[in-house]
Amino acid sequence: MTGLVRAEWAKLFTTRVWIGLLLGVTALSVLSAVITTAFAGDPTVGVPPVGTPLYEQLALGSPSQAVVLMLVLGIIGTTQEYRHRTATPTFLTTPRRGRVIAAKLLAYALAAVPFAVAVTVVTDAVVAGYAGARGAVPELTGDNLRVVVTTALALVVYTVIGVGVGALVRNQVGAIVGGLVYVFVVEGLVRTFLGAVYTWLPGGALEALTVTFQGPDLLERWQGGLLLLGYGLGAALLGTLFAVRRDVS
Amino acid sequence: MRLDGRTGPADDEERAIPTAPTRVPGPVRVEVSGLTKSFGAVRAVTELGFTVEPGAVTGFLGPNGAGKTTTLRMMLGLVRPDQGAATFDGVPYAALPHPVRTVGAVLETAFHPARSARNHLRVYCHAAGLPPARAEQVLAQVGLGDAAGRRAGAYSLGMRQRLALATALLGDPAVLVLDEPANGLDPEGIQWLRGFLRHLAHEEGRTVLVSSHLLSEVEQTVDRVVIVGAGRLVREGSMAQLRSGAEGSVLVRSPEPARLAEVLRGAGIAVTAAEDGALTVLGRSSAEIGSRAFAAGIELHELRPHASGLEEIYFRLTSGREQFAAAAPAAPVEGAR
Repeated sequence: MTGLVRAEWAKLFTTRVWIGLLLGVTALSVLSAVITTAFAGDPTVGVPPVGTPLYEQLALGSPSQAVVLMLVLGIIGTTQEYRHRTATPTFLTTPRRGRVIAAKLLAYALAAVPFAVAVTVVTDAVVAGYAGARGAVPELTGDNLRVVVTTALALVVYTVIGVGVGALVRNQVGAIVGGLVYVFVVEGLVRTFLGAVYTWLPGGALEALTVTFQGPDLLERWQGGLLLLGYGLGAALLGTLFAVRRDVS
Repeated sequence: MRLDGRTGPADDEERAIPTAPTRVPGPVRVEVSGLTKSFGAVRAVTELGFTVEPGAVTGFLGPNGAGKTTTLRMMLGLVRPDQGAATFDGVPYAALPHPVRTVGAVLETAFHPARSARNHLRVYCHAAGLPPARAEQVLAQVGLGDAAGRRAGAYSLGMRQRLALATALLGDPAVLVLDEPANGLDPEGIQWLRGFLRHLAHEEGRTVLVSSHLLSEVEQTVDRVVIVGAGRLVREGSMAQLRSGAEGSVLVRSPEPARLAEVLRGAGIAVTAAEDGALTVLGRSSAEIGSRAFAAGIELHELRPHASGLEEIYFRLTSGREQFAAAAPAAPVEGAR
């Protein structure tokens, strides 16, 4: 399994996709933090003022705005095999395809950790600088620290979900477009009109996990974390079953 | 380009490459039996069975759409057969303890366009637990040593064929399976591939199965043939056996073609006349035709056996899908197993 994980890392780091996505995730997260800080205390926007716990958790939770790009990273990880037809040599080398998917899950989960750390460090540095300039540097303790850790965790889990979705859908463009539409359109609509359902969707679970000032509809933090992890493993399991059964031609 | 598999000074990894018959992995016989596969309502392969022997190059021939690629993919566990199985010394591909060390396959000439050839090969070194240095060795073996750092996306089709072959060679396998490997190769490349495959089979005792839709393309390379048409076995045997089935014809020219045709027809011999007066005689030797003409006192200007029988046999065997779809599966040529 070590060799298979190393093979997946070799695939990931011998093209430039990871650089683009890492920059994208960081940019999106920083942008979200900057906007949150810029409008903090503006009554027309509704962001609480700098120095309040609510503002600090919102700003420090900015990486959760970029989870969709980690989803894309995971999706590309599996779908590139089909897009570039490397699934053939991959499954020839490892005929037990479940092992390939398991190695991808492990490789991408592990690779996502330094990604998440990098995004978190950059974002928190920007928040510290900008919020400091506006009056108060958020302390990384208590609820603040919890937000930082859980958002980083969410980045990792979304990568795992992406690997599973990719194994399930196989078509790269279809999987990415579907993922974006789901995250940005479907979940938004469900959140607005079907709050009870949203609670149980990945977005609801993500919100429960990362946001401390919870609305009444959301699960407990640990429940949200478990549910999100469940989505990741569920997608991976389904993806594995499909990958094993389908013909590679 | 070197054909002998040696790449450089001896070191630890060097031992992975066979340099003498003693280093070659043990001979592995491939057996295919009863393979059947439908895609929806379309029957791609029907009860296909044949064997591939070590120490020889076996041509897997048939027109496009005959089910060659599907068969190869079923043999290698990529496509799930409806029925039947393929085994390598009795073991199905998916159950082999070290699949790439037993079987190397060239099925696909597609690569991630942004990844270099070296990195492509290293991925599979990691996955198969082979030393990364194997990548350099197989690149040298197929003559891509100088292009190792270039993106595979910038490769020509011929170079991609070589890179695919390099991938297949990574595990130093006893069996090599190649799907249309000559596609995109220039004449020099085809010549090289020919020598390379024959070397692997004849000098090193490996089992080589190479598919093609053109007999002429592999005629000089293969020792045995497995011919399929419309997903069924049409013929299995040695090239010599295939050749012996060639029904020769003889071209005859004479200043008296009409009288000669009359004489030959009178002896119950089939004769066809061309517009320019030449006669084509089927199924008789030049000697017999010559002596009959001599006996009748007819002058001959040309008496030439027609040599392209093999291509005609292949065409006859594989043309007319309906004919073969309706026929019972052909029995293997005697002595094929």
